[in-house]
Amino acid sequence: MRPIVYVGLCIPAVIIVAASFTAGEALRFPPEGFSLRWYRAALSSAPFMGSLWTSVRLACLATIGALSLGLCAAMALDRYRFRGREVIRNLTLSPLVVPMVVLGIALLQFLASMKLNQTFVGLLAGHVLITVPYVVRTLTASLVLFDRSIEQAAANLRAPPWRVLRLVTLPILFPAIISATVFAFVTSFGNVTLSIFLGTSQATTLPVQIFTYVEQNYDPVLAAVSAVVIMVTLAMILVIEKVVGVEKVA
Amino acid sequence: MNARALTESSNVVSEVTKGPAPQGQAVVTVQQLTKMYDTFTAVDSLSLEVGQGELLCLLGPSGCGKTTTLSMIAGFVQPTRGAIHIAGADVTRLPPYKRDTGMVFQSYALFPHMTVAANVAFGLENVGVAKVQRKRRVGEMLDLVELGHLANRFPRELSGGQQQRVALARALALRPAVLLLDEPFSNLDAQLRVRLREEMRRLIDAVDITTLFVTHDQDEALVLSDRIVVMNKGRIEQIGTPQEIYEEPASRFVAEFIGSCSLLEGTVRDGEFRTQRGISVPVAAAANIERALLVLRPEQVRLSGPTGARAFDARVENSSYYGGMTRVRLNAGGESLLMEAHFAGADVPKPGDDIRVQISPVGVRLIPAP
Repeated sequence: MRPIVYVGLCIPAVIIVAASFTAGEALRFPPEGFSLRWYRAALSSAPFMGSLWTSVRLACLATIGALSLGLCAAMALDRYRFRGREVIRNLTLSPLVVPMVVLGIALLQFLASMKLNQTFVGLLAGHVLITVPYVVRTLTASLVLFDRSIEQAAANLRAPPWRVLRLVTLPILFPAIISATVFAFVTSFGNVTLSIFLGTSQATTLPVQIFTYVEQNYDPVLAAVSAVVIMVTLAMILVIEKVVGVEKVA
Repeated sequence: MNARALTESSNVVSEVTKGPAPQGQAVVTVQQLTKMYDTFTAVDSLSLEVGQGELLCLLGPSGCGKTTTLSMIAGFVQPTRGAIHIAGADVTRLPPYKRDTGMVFQSYALFPHMTVAANVAFGLENVGVAKVQRKRRVGEMLDLVELGHLANRFPRELSGGQQQRVALARALALRPAVLLLDEPFSNLDAQLRVRLREEMRRLIDAVDITTLFVTHDQDEALVLSDRIVVMNKGRIEQIGTPQEIYEEPASRFVAEFIGSCSLLEGTVRDGEFRTQRGISVPVAAAANIERALLVLRPEQVRLSGPTGARAFDARVENSSYYGGMTRVRLNAGGESLLMEAHFAGADVPKPGDDIRVQISPVGVRLIPAP
């Protein structure tokens, strides 16, 4: 059963990567001949490369924002008993529940009222909002398993609270933080719906660029761009594998 | 109970509860310490002193407040009322990292991302010990616990016993005023536990450190402690040396919690304890009491010849053979008695046998009936 699932998951990626090497004019599988012409076209296309850069920048900043907010939220929710704790826990997870289109329209209205619509800041705020739930969820899961007596031991060995956090708590949470980073980055990097509502003409994300391009054209440059995205993602996973080991993160 | 007996017996109890004074100067002083969670009182007006170089044990069933007491002394739990002094300083409101204690946790709580050497060095780094001295001190501590060869291993690569020794070395590296041990043997198997507690006592004696030790295991407490504090429901039942706790329990709780015993209810008149069913034991010094409990340790019930003084018949309900001795539960006309003795091969009593026993009056103890 497992091999079938894995093959099923891989087939679309394999097809798109194979199609990207076509020498022909049309996007089809199996490819006609072999060439790198569509990669040359993709890499020299200002709209695609510009939007790729926007997406990477946006995903990095959104991930940093979501990690900072999510780590604080997860810590507070795990360690303190306060009034409204359950409400706040559910609020941090709610962006997963609200349909993305509804969220997009609502945020557009809200940002417009603050004169932040059609700005990079507004787009970034939206992406932080949709990535925070992944961070909170991942970190909460590992905080539940965290042995608090390890922090007590550090305090007992004369470490003030900030040293305990820096030298003990965060290093032990490191695999979970990496895992949360991957989820947040991938979620932001792949998002279409929210970016359509909040994007600006100067800052179009790659998924939105692909989406609008496909309305007018259907040529193999799309396959080449997609292949680049797949390779970037794979490269990221390989780096993590080297640094911490994927089995610790998953 | 007549008035004279009441005052006498309660005098005896209060004297024993106080126990002997700690040797030397007190390193830890706890006064009227109380911890309440909403309406539940976990620790109730607890006062005790741990003397210089003394090994004091808090012993009691789970939920008796012993770990809460230790946590308050270490500073992890804030007391509702009361005061804690360590080495003369009032630390009641100080955070844990400003208290001069070294703790070994039940789970050992080693830092999983640091090597053994880094674990031991952690405290020294926090107080700013220079690198050269730090290295030397870590070496000393690892030699003390005989783990020098494992300095570069990670905790997950060590056995339970080795982890415990790292935790001890880590706690002792800063030369704290008091060592706190929270159930340090509960994660080990029975054989290792016995060996490691001897080892622990040897190490503690070697560094001559004041120690406060929490356990629910009476054997551990009896073997390791200079003095034992028996706790129940957040209160102190009795403080005393292991001998005093075992031989002169102050209450029914202490008698039943430490070792095994049989309790007989009866009256004391003219130096003679007598149960309703006619078992009698001389208790020369005791005053007359209407209702008293006689604490009988299993070794005080003995086989008797047919003509032994005050001997009586008892039926064997069950017997367990432990090699060196056999533990026998007896029924003597409705009274349940526990007996431990050595029986030669074929003489081991079987359920249903009738045997004749007597009670050795030396060391029997009377406590007030509840």
